[in-house]
Amino acid sequence: MIVERDVVVVGGGPAGLTAAARLASAGLTVTILDEQPELGGQYYRRPAPEVARRWGDHRREGGELIAEARAAGVECRPGHLVWGLADDGRTLLAEDAAGSPVRLRGRAIVLATGAYERAFPFPGWQLPGVTTPGFAQHLAASDHTPVGERVVLAGSGPFLLPVACSLLALGVKVAGIAEAGTPYRLGRRALGALRHPARLRELAGYVARLARARVPIWQGTVVLRADGRDRVSAVTLAAAARPGLAVRTVEVDALCVGYGFRPQTDLARMLGCEVVTDAATGDAIPVTDAAGRSSRPDVYVVGEAAGIGGAHLAKARGLAAAHAILTRETGHPTPPAEARALARLGHFTALTDALYPSPAQLLDLLLPALPDSTLACRCESVTVGEIRAEATGDVNAAKARTRAGMGPCQGRVCGFAVAGLAGGDTVFPARVPVRPVRISTLLELAAEGETA
Amino acid sequence: MTRTATIIVDDRPVTAVAGVSLTAALVGDRRWALRRNPVDGGPRGPFCGMGVCFECEVTVDGVPSVRACLTRIRPGMRVDTGAPDDR
Amino acid sequence: MNADVVIVGAGVLGAAAAWQLARGGSRVVIFDRSAPGREGSGTTAGNLHVQAVHTRRPGQEVPLDSARFLPLQRAASDRWESVEDDLETSVELRRSGGFTIAETPDQCQELKEKHTWEAAAGIPTEVLDGDAARAALPLLGPTVAAATWCERDGYANPLKVTPAYLAAAARHGAELVPYAPVREITRRGATWRVTAGEHVVETPVVIDVAGPWLGEIAALAGIRLRMTPVAIQMHATVRAPVTLSHLVQHIGEGLSVKQVTAGNLLIGGGWPAGSLNLAGRSATSTRSLLGNVALAVRVLPFIRDLRLLRAWAGPLAATPDEMPLIGEVPGEPGFLVAGGTYAFTFAPLWGETLRRLAEGAPPPVEIADLGPDRLMTQPMTHEGRQRC
Ligand SMILES: Cc1cc2nc3c(=O)[nH]c(=O)nc-3n(C[C@H](O)[C@H](O)[C@H](O)COP(=O)(O)OP(=O)(O)OC[C@H]3O[C@@H](n4cnc5c(N)ncnc54)[C@H](O)[C@@H]3O)c2cc1C
Ligand code: FES
Repeated sequence: MIVERDVVVVGGGPAGLTAAARLASAGLTVTILDEQPELGGQYYRRPAPEVARRWGDHRREGGELIAEARAAGVECRPGHLVWGLADDGRTLLAEDAAGSPVRLRGRAIVLATGAYERAFPFPGWQLPGVTTPGFAQHLAASDHTPVGERVVLAGSGPFLLPVACSLLALGVKVAGIAEAGTPYRLGRRALGALRHPARLRELAGYVARLARARVPIWQGTVVLRADGRDRVSAVTLAAAARPGLAVRTVEVDALCVGYGFRPQTDLARMLGCEVVTDAATGDAIPVTDAAGRSSRPDVYVVGEAAGIGGAHLAKARGLAAAHAILTRETGHPTPPAEARALARLGHFTALTDALYPSPAQLLDLLLPALPDSTLACRCESVTVGEIRAEATGDVNAAKARTRAGMGPCQGRVCGFAVAGLAGGDTVFPARVPVRPVRISTLLELAAEGETA
Repeated sequence: MTRTATIIVDDRPVTAVAGVSLTAALVGDRRWALRRNPVDGGPRGPFCGMGVCFECEVTVDGVPSVRACLTRIRPGMRVDTGAPDDR
Repeated sequence: MNADVVIVGAGVLGAAAAWQLARGGSRVVIFDRSAPGREGSGTTAGNLHVQAVHTRRPGQEVPLDSARFLPLQRAASDRWESVEDDLETSVELRRSGGFTIAETPDQCQELKEKHTWEAAAGIPTEVLDGDAARAALPLLGPTVAAATWCERDGYANPLKVTPAYLAAAARHGAELVPYAPVREITRRGATWRVTAGEHVVETPVVIDVAGPWLGEIAALAGIRLRMTPVAIQMHATVRAPVTLSHLVQHIGEGLSVKQVTAGNLLIGGGWPAGSLNLAGRSATSTRSLLGNVALAVRVLPFIRDLRLLRAWAGPLAATPDEMPLIGEVPGEPGFLVAGGTYAFTFAPLWGETLRRLAEGAPPPVEIADLGPDRLMTQPMTHEGRQRC
C-alpha cells in the first residue's frame, strides 16, 4: 500500500503532533506515524482509558493535542514502525501492527522521532527489576502501576525528580535518589538557573515534595552495584569522588537508573541528513536551522530528535517546522512571535543542562571504576573487559570484534558506554532496518514492488 | 469499580486493570523475568518500557518476539514468557 | 626504515600473507588506510566455497569459469584444515558441508555439469534430486528440484579470521600500521620506497592487497590495472531457534544462507549495494535486500518466520573477467598483487602463494593465467571497436 501526502510526520510526540495539527489545519494532507500503539510519544503517553477514568489523565493536554490533530484531518497511524527507505531515497518503508508493509511519500518529511534514555552499565544492571526511570514513569502515569514497593532512583539529571514524585503518588517507598552530580547546591550555576524561574520553580516543586516525604537526595553519589538472584534485591551506592568504595547498601525491589536522553537520529541519518557531534553531549545531532530544516531541503527534524530540550521546546520546534513548510507550500510567512518564543526556549534548556554533569563528565566519573566483569552489551552479553581489550579508538572495530551492539537493540542501550570504552565515534552507524522487521513484511513488500 | 481484564501468562491467569500495557500487567503480578538471555542464560525483564531494549519480548497469542511494553492487554490474551516461574 | 616485505592492505589477504612471510623469517610491515579487516574482509559472508559457486552474482556481466576455479577451491579447502592450529585460536571454523540447489531444469543440468568438474578437481560432491535433498535437509522448500552436497563447504567467522592472522603475524614480528594510507610508491633499481602517513619504508617486495583500492595503489607505482570494484550486501536475521548446520547456496541465483555460531542466519549472494562508497560506508539497497530475502525464503521457507536484524554492504575488488588476480607485475620486479572475488575462501592459499613468490619460489598452484598482465592491456579504443 502506498500513501502519498503533502507531509509525512514520523513520531507522534509533542513535536510531531504539533507540526501535524498545524499543517493539516492549513489544509495540507498529513499522515503521522508512530511505533507506539497510541499517539502521544513519551511525554504525552496516553493512559489506558480505564486508568484515565479511574485516576485521571496525567497530561490532559496530550489527549487534547491528539484530538486537535485528528479534528484537523491528520491521518493517524499509531502502531507503525518506519524501518527503512526505498532506493529512490524518499519513499519511507513502514510496518503496521499486523505486519503489513506501508510505503509513504511526502513532499516534505518531518522527523520527530524523539529520544531514548541514556543508560550506563554497572554490575548487576541486567537483573530483572533494574529499569530506566522512564519505564517507572510510564508504568506510573499510564498504567497506574508501581514499578516496585521500595525503590531507589539513580543516575543524573532533572528527570529523576518527577519520576520519584510519580512513585510517591502511588504510595511507593522511595528509599532515596542518588544523583551523580551536585546540582542542588546553591552555587553560581544554580544562580544562573534562577534567571529562569519557570524551570527552577518546577524543580523546586519536586524537591519540596520529596523533602515532605523525607526522600533523601544523595548528591555526588553513584551506583556501585545491584544484587539479587532472579530480581534485584539491593543496591550499593558509592561516592562519585571515590566510585569504587561502597558507602551504603539499600534493600530495594526495583532500581531505576538513567542519565538523561539521547536523540533518536537513525532515520535522519538514513535519509542522508548531515549530522554533527554535539560538543556538550557527544551525541550525533542533525544539522538544522531554527525551523528544523535539515541539510536535505525536504526533510525537517524536530523535537528531541534534533537535540534534547524538553516537551515545550519540542512543541515549539514542531510548530516552527510547520510554519516553514507552510511558507514553502503556500507562501504564508512565519508569524514573528513564534520565532521569538522559540529563541527563548532554546536558552532555557542550555542553562538547566549546566546544573548536571555533561555526558563527557559522566564518562570520566563512571568509566574508570567500572569492573571488567560488568556486562556492557546486554543483548549479546559482552563484558566491559572484553571491550576494553579492543579499545583502539574505533567503536565499530570494537563492535566487530566483540559483538557489542549487534543484538536486537542495535546498540541503543549500550552504545554510550561502549563508545566511551572503545573511544572514538560516539554513535554506531545508522543501519537498515531501524529495528528488527518481520521477514513476512519484507516478502509482502517485495511482492508489491518496493517503490512501484 | 475498576474494570479489569484477565490474561493467561504461562498457563496461569493474571488480572490487571483493563487496557494497561502488558508490562504493567506482568510487573503488577510481580512477574519480572520474561526471558533468558540467549548467550548467558541469565533472567531478563523489561528495562526501557519504550520499545528500545527488546528485553521484554514474549510470545502473545502464538506470535513470538512481541515487545510487552508496546502491547496493551486484551481479555483472554495468552502470553508465554521465555522464563516461566515455578511459583 | 627497511623491511623485507611491505604489505599494503590489512584485509584477510594481507593478513594471511603477513603471517606466512613473518613466520618464514621475513621482516614484514603492513599498512592500512584505516582499521584492519574492516572492509571486504570484515563485511564478507565468510563462506568457504569448496563446491563450485554459481557463476553469476546478480548484475555480474561475465560468468566465472567454474572449471578453472575448482582446482583453486580444492587447494584452498585443503589449507583451511590447518588454519586454527596454525593460528592457535578459534576462528569459528565449521566444515559442516553445504548444499547448492537448483530449481529449473537448466539449473539441474548445470549441477550435473559442475559435479563432473568437481570430480575432476578431486572435490567429492553428490547430486541429489529434490526429494532426496529435502530428506537430507528437511528445511529446504518445495521448489528445490535438485541439489549437490559437498561435505567440505564451510564457514569461518570473518570478524575473527583477519584479526587471528594479524595476531599470529605479530607474534612472528610483523609490524601492523593501521590508519596509515599509503600515498607514494617509487622504485629505484630493485628497491621500492613506500610512503604511508609519517612512515617511509624501503623494501625489495611490495604486496598490493588493497582490495577495492588495489588499482589505486598500483597506480601510485605507475601500474595501470583494470579493476572493477563493486559493493555487495549482506543480511542478518535475529537469532533463530531452528538449527541449520549447512551452507545453502543456489546454482542459478544469488543466494547463500547459513547460521552462524551466535545463532543468527546470514543471507547473502552478492546482491549489489545501493552505492559503492570508498570514502565511508557503502549504502545498502532496499531492492537487493528484498530480492535476496525473498529468494532465501523460497529456498528455506522457515526464514519467513524470522525478523531481519541488519543489512550491510561491503566493497569487493572484482576483476573484469571475474577470475582471481595473483602474481607479479611484469616489468616491475618485486611488485606483487592479489585480489578478486572469493578472496576469503582463497586467503590461506594466496597467503602461501604470495610468500613463495616473494621468496622467488614456485607457487603451490598454477597461476600463470591469473596474473596482472591480463588486466594491463589498454581498454579497447573507440577506433578499435569500429574496425571489428
Ligand atoms: C520517559 C520520559 C519522561 C519524560 N518526562 C519529561 C518531563 O517530565 N518533562 C519534560 O519537559 N520532558 C520530559 N521528557 C522529555 C520529553 O518527553 C520530550 O522533550 C518530548 O517528549 C519530546 O517530544 P518529541 O515529539 O520530540 O519526542 P517523543 O515524545 O519521544 O516522540 C517520538 C515518537 O517517535 C516514535 N518513533 C521513533 N522512531 C520511529 C520509527 N522509526 N517509526 C515509527 N515511530 C517512531 C516513537 O515511538 C515516539 O513515540 C521525558 C522523556 C521521556 C522519554
Ligand atoms: S522494555 Fe525495552 S523494549 Fe520493552
